[in-house]
Amino acid sequence: MTASLRDSITTGDAPARPPAPALKRRWLDFGQHLDWRRRVLLGLTGWLLFVFGWYLAAHAGLASERLFPGPVAVMRALTDLFVEQGFLGDVLSSIRRILISFSLAVAIALPLGLLMGAFARIDGLLNPLLGAFRYLPAPAFIPLLLMWLGTGDSQKIALLLIGVVFFLAIMLADVTRQVPAAFIETAKTLGGGRRVVLWTVVFRHSLPGYLDTCRQMLAVSWTYLVIAEIVAATDGIGAMMMRAKRFVHVDDIMAGIVTIGLLGLAFDALFRLVYRWRFPYLRGEHQR
Amino acid sequence: MHNGSGLIIENAGKTFRAGGRDPRVALEGVSLHLPPGRVGVLLGPSGCGKSTLLRMVAGLEEPTTGALSLNGRPVTGPGRDRGMVFQSYTSFPWLTVRQNVAYGLKITGDSSSLREGAVEHFIQAVRLEDVADAYPHELSGGMRQRVAIARTLANHPELLLMDEPFGALDPETRWQMQELLLGIVRKERTTVLLVSHDIEEALYLGDVVFFLSSHPGRLREVIRPDFKKEVPAGDREALLDHPQYRRLDMHIRRLMSEEGTTRASPVAEAADRG
Ligand SMILES: Nc1ncnc2c1ncn2[C@@H]1O[C@H](COP(=O)(O)OP(=O)(O)OP(=O)(O)O)[C@@H](O)[C@H]1O
Ligand SMILES: [Mg+2]
Repeated sequence: MTASLRDSITTGDAPARPPAPALKRRWLDFGQHLDWRRRVLLGLTGWLLFVFGWYLAAHAGLASERLFPGPVAVMRALTDLFVEQGFLGDVLSSIRRILISFSLAVAIALPLGLLMGAFARIDGLLNPLLGAFRYLPAPAFIPLLLMWLGTGDSQKIALLLIGVVFFLAIMLADVTRQVPAAFIETAKTLGGGRRVVLWTVVFRHSLPGYLDTCRQMLAVSWTYLVIAEIVAATDGIGAMMMRAKRFVHVDDIMAGIVTIGLLGLAFDALFRLVYRWRFPYLRGEHQR
Repeated sequence: MHNGSGLIIENAGKTFRAGGRDPRVALEGVSLHLPPGRVGVLLGPSGCGKSTLLRMVAGLEEPTTGALSLNGRPVTGPGRDRGMVFQSYTSFPWLTVRQNVAYGLKITGDSSSLREGAVEHFIQAVRLEDVADAYPHELSGGMRQRVAIARTLANHPELLLMDEPFGALDPETRWQMQELLLGIVRKERTTVLLVSHDIEEALYLGDVVFFLSSHPGRLREVIRPDFKKEVPAGDREALLDHPQYRRLDMHIRRLMSEEGTTRASPVAEAADRG
């Protein structure tokens, strides 16, 4: 019955139509997807514009070359630092502090965030507590940490940890809460117990969000790193910058800033790479 | 395995109490019996509590009054014996089609079913063998729903619950899915309780149709399309042409419009609130 109906509707020759005009393309439009070549090109363009603006500003004679060096001088200082002053050791110390403190932060915040996001009672217990700690400025702990832990690495790692862990726990809990109830109910009706649902649905669904959150919070970590290394540190990027300040080596300070920026960019790229590699099923949904 | 008393619902009621607002009676005094191996359809106007009843059977919603049991065991929570296919597409996006279908067997540690090829069997039954290694986002809505059906069936539930499983599909796909479901269910002898708001779907799939009325949701009528024995199983056109089909169709339409008018009338609305 339906087949014959459909036939009678679609039979009959369609009139010849002029070729369809191509869709109008615009340089800026909603929902555009870029291939990696375009992304790199655009990213480089942004950087070049910035460096060019910097160059113009530095050479416009607004401030002395000594106080506001241009990009060329800073690059020279950077090479100098690496080649002659063993800056690589400083960089590695900083990276080590970041990695240790951030791993600790994740190790503490992830279980908390997972349980808070999954179970309202645990959230009720911990959210007000962690939420309050989040508002305490981490640098305010520096005097305490100096007294408790001395001036060594543990004091710096502790500061980085305090600066990040509370935010991380709350944000990971927020991510965890996004799991659609229908997924949880599906798993339950398939015979999943609490532990199984927690790992195979709640945790698994949240993984991409966790990675994203960690990426954001790692950036915050770098902020605290400089604060930690400015206070009583002998090595690290921040320490180098403090030494340079004593001798008004502005180019060295700026080289430190550039180094942190580049390291941040590298870590960000690493996160994106892991994201694309581990979560192929998200490729269609939102591109990063 | 499926011998037993089937699904028995006795005097089930559900009142939602949201903080501060008036309690809302969604269901009241619903009693019904679905024998093993049969397909039961819950039909009724929107908001009459079909989903609530189904979720109560699944163990996802606690009944305020009454009791439910499946094959002699009281319902105390969700379990593998009552598989559910939701209206929204709930295939897990991070698993491929094959992994989705195997999920239930993996988490319940049913290694014998895994070994015996239950996963491949049901992937073939819903005709997804060509996309078995694709992720759900690469599939159409109808295909995703087939993943959910295969996943639930691979788990060998005693009762298959479905909440408007084909509601979001176009008519053509919906027909195909209904035929597919009927074929599988006849072969596996699964008991099915399915929510629908489509009369044709209800009469085509159902051995027994439970018509619910709204405000509050009650079981208004049990309709048994027994004339279906006279038409070849699954022959839709013969079914639609049968005089008894037209009679039942008219009858249900009348029930629906009665429900519609009582709800739309301002008097009833005022009485509702008062
Ligand atoms: N969690 C809830 N809290 C409060 N009220 C609810 C809740 N769930 C359902 N209800 C109410 O219970 C009644 C029945 O809802 P239910 O979803 O079971 O209807 P339905 O028959 O499935 O409708 P539809 O055909 O539109 O899906 C409705 O009046 C609804 O507002
Ligand atoms: Mg519903």
